[in-house]
Amino acid sequence: MSTMGRILMVEDDPKDVELTLTALEEYNLANEVVVTRDGEEALDYLYCRGNFTTRSNGNPAVLLLDLKLPKVDGLEVLRQIKSDQKLKMIPVVVLTSSHEEKDMVASYSRGVNAYVVKPVDFHEFVNAIKELGMFWAVINEPPPGTLRKT
Amino acid sequence: MTSEDIPHFLIFVLFASLVTRFAAVRRRVERDLLLSRNELEREVMERTQQASLLNLTHDSIFVRDMDFGITYWNRGAQELYGWTPEKAIGKRSHELLHTTFPEPLEEIRAELLRTGRWEGELKRAKANGAEVLVASRWSLSRDEREQPAAVLETSNDITERKRREKEVHDLNQELAKRSTDLETANKELEAFAYSVSHDLRAPLRHMDGYAELLQKRASSALDDKSRRYMTMILEASKQMGNLIDDLLAFSKLGRAETNKTMVNLEQLVKEALSEVRQETGGRNIAWRIGALPICYGDRSMLRLVLVNLLSNAVKFTRRQPQAEIEVGSAGEGGNEVVVFVRDNGAGFDMRYVNKLFGVFQRLHQTEAFEGTGIGLATVQRIVHRHGGRAWAEGLVDKGATFYFSLSKPEESNS
Repeated sequence: MSTMGRILMVEDDPKDVELTLTALEEYNLANEVVVTRDGEEALDYLYCRGNFTTRSNGNPAVLLLDLKLPKVDGLEVLRQIKSDQKLKMIPVVVLTSSHEEKDMVASYSRGVNAYVVKPVDFHEFVNAIKELGMFWAVINEPPPGTLRKT
Repeated sequence: MTSEDIPHFLIFVLFASLVTRFAAVRRRVERDLLLSRNELEREVMERTQQASLLNLTHDSIFVRDMDFGITYWNRGAQELYGWTPEKAIGKRSHELLHTTFPEPLEEIRAELLRTGRWEGELKRAKANGAEVLVASRWSLSRDEREQPAAVLETSNDITERKRREKEVHDLNQELAKRSTDLETANKELEAFAYSVSHDLRAPLRHMDGYAELLQKRASSALDDKSRRYMTMILEASKQMGNLIDDLLAFSKLGRAETNKTMVNLEQLVKEALSEVRQETGGRNIAWRIGALPICYGDRSMLRLVLVNLLSNAVKFTRRQPQAEIEVGSAGEGGNEVVVFVRDNGAGFDMRYVNKLFGVFQRLHQTEAFEGTGIGLATVQRIVHRHGGRAWAEGLVDKGATFYFSLSKPEESNS
C-alpha cells in the first residue's frame, strides 16, 4: 500500500460510525478517516472553516456521505460540492440505508459517483466498506490536489 | 205663388238643404262609428288571440302595474305557482308569491327604470307553500307619455336544475375531498415505507453488527449454550431484515404505476422458468408447459407472479422423488383468461385456503419450508391490480394448484 487517500465520512449515527471504522480498521484503512457528524460540519471541513480552519489544505480522496443528516442533509451537501469548481472533482459515494428510488435518482442527478445501500448483514456491510475504502482510497487515482499519505 | 210665399219657399229650400246635409253628416258619423267599432273589435280579437297565444307557452308570464298589482296572469303562471288568474289578478305579486329578491328591491327597480329590463333568480312560494326557484326576466312597458306603466314578467322553474347543480357541486366537492384524503394516505404510506426502509434498517444493522463483533471477540470464551444464543440473535436479525425487504417490495408494488401492454404468457413462463431453474439445484423435475394465451397487463409484474408461483411449486415439491409441475391455461371463459400452476408437492389443507394469500401468512413450518410468506400475497396484489382473481386448490401431500385470471385483450373479441 504505497499511498492512501484521506476518507471524509459524513455520518450522524455514532453506531454507524463505530461499525464503519471497525470495518475499515480490519483492513488498515481507518488511519486516514475524518469523521464529520452532519452536513454543516462536512462543508466546514471542505471549506477549511469552523473547526477546520487549521487543517492541511487539499481535498479528501473520497467522501462517504449519508443522506439523512441533521442540519444540512446529504443531498444538499452533494449539490454544493458538485456546483463548486474547487470541490466538484471530489468523488462522492452516498452510503445510506435508503433503498428508495427517489433518493437514488436525486443523488445521481446531482452527480454522485457511486450509490451504496448499507447492507443489513454485517459481513456484507464489512465487505462493502472494505471494498469502498480499498477502491476509493487506494486503487483509484484521485484528482490532483487530493490529500494522500505516502 | 205670391210674393208672400217667397220667404216660405226659401225657408223650405233652406230646410230641405239642411236636412240633406244633416243626413250626409249622419251617414259620415255613422260610417266613422262603424269603422271604429270594427277597429275595436279587431283589436279585441287581436289581443284575445295574443293572450291565448301567451297561454300556450310553458313559461309563466304575468303583467303587473308599477305597484306590483297583477293585471294579467297566463296559464304558465297558474301551472307554476298554482294560483288561478281569478285568484291572482288584483293581488300584489311579491306578496302573493312571497318573493325573496337576490338584491335590494330599490336597486332592481332602478335598473328596470334605467334599462327597461331586469333579470335574476327569485325564490318564491307556490300556492301550496312549496318553495320554487325561478329564473325571472322583467320588461318595462311605458305609456304614450313615456311614463312607466307596467311590467311583463316571464319566469321559468329552475328548482330542479339548481338542485342538480348543487348535487353535482356537492359530489365534486366530495370527490375533491376524497382524492385529497387518498393523496394524504398515499403520502403517509410513502413516508411509512421510507421510514421502514431507512429508519428501521439502521438499528437492525447495528444489532447484527454488534452481535457479530461480540461473537467474534467472545466466541472462544462462551459455552455452547451462549454461542447458540448468539447465533439465534444473528438469525433473528437476518430474518427481520428479510421481512423488511419483503414488506418494502410489497408496498412498492401497490404504489408502482402499471404499464400495460399485450403480453405473451408463454414467453413469460419461459423467462420465469429460466430464473427459477437456478433454484432447483439439479433436482429431477418434470415440467409440463401447455399452450398459454396472450393477455393484457404489466409485463414485469406478471413475470413476478409467474416467478413466485413457479418457485413456490419448486419449493413445495422438494420432498417428492419425482416432482411434477404443470403450467397451463384453464379455459377462457367470457372476457378473461385463467392460468394455473399445478404441482404434486406438499399441498395444503383446504380449511386454511383463505389464509394462503395473506401477507406473511405461512401454512408450513419454517423448518420444513423456508420463506417469509410474502410470495402469494404479492401474486394476489398484482392480479388484483389487473382486475383479476387469484385462488387455489390443494390437498395435504397431494399437491396444489394455483389459479389466476386476467382480462383478455380487447382485440381478441373483434
